[in-house]
Amino acid sequence: MAQLYVVQSADFTFLLHQTEMTPGNLSAHLSKLEEAGYVEVTKEFIERKPHTALALTKKGRAAFKEYRKKVKQFVEKLPE
Amino acid sequence: MSYHQDGLLDIFAGLYILGFGLGIIMDVLWEFGFGVIMPAILIATVLPIWIEAKRKITMPRIGFVNFGTRGANKLTAVFIGTMVAGLGAFFVFTLATFQGESRQWLDLIVQNGMLIVGFGTFVICTLFGYTMGLKRLYAYGLLAVIVLAIGHFMGIFFAYIITALGITVMVTGFAMLIGFVRKYPLKGEKAIAE
Repeated sequence: MAQLYVVQSADFTFLLHQTEMTPGNLSAHLSKLEEAGYVEVTKEFIERKPHTALALTKKGRAAFKEYRKKVKQFVEKLPE
Repeated sequence: MSYHQDGLLDIFAGLYILGFGLGIIMDVLWEFGFGVIMPAILIATVLPIWIEAKRKITMPRIGFVNFGTRGANKLTAVFIGTMVAGLGAFFVFTLATFQGESRQWLDLIVQNGMLIVGFGTFVICTLFGYTMGLKRLYAYGLLAVIVLAIGHFMGIFFAYIITALGITVMVTGFAMLIGFVRKYPLKGEKAIAE
């Protein structure tokens, strides 16, 4: 989600390189995020080849912002 | 990950600089108004090839990402800023020419031409390097200012330096492209290798 948060959209290959996950693993993660309504998956054909475009939904972006805020608060509360 | 790690930008920029240098050496640059035509040639021929190369080489390897408009806006602002600064300098020069100071200005520019071009290249490379997040543009800018300063003080012909710079940038681009293709093989190739 952090990868998609900083861009407008990205495809499966890009996320595969960025996350260094296996295709099956990444696919499973994306399916769960799609089910939760956090990620929008668009399947299309470019020059007869299948292409999967992924983008964070408004709900996903808001959820990630909230998550980030909470992690920040948690880290700041840690003793030196 | 950056879309410019494939070295294509360097190859085409190097090719353009090389063409510029060779144009001066062969004395065709001014004769046929090549200096004016060059940007048009770049847009008409090199740009479509560059886009196609991106689609065929880069995107199948690292995928496609849409960064949104923020980066593009920053780049446009730097480009417009550079153009405005260039036009401003031209305006000041024209004003001085009308006031009869052209001889002084021209002498100064001709005498220090290589230093001016070197410094200008360094500023442009630094600006674009910062905007695009490409650290190697700083190195290119530094290299340009150093070799042009050496050329100025040692009296080396401007075109030779430009040609050498073009070759350096182009060779760097090819080296980067080879490294990129090896680092990110196509899925089919990877499967065969495994």
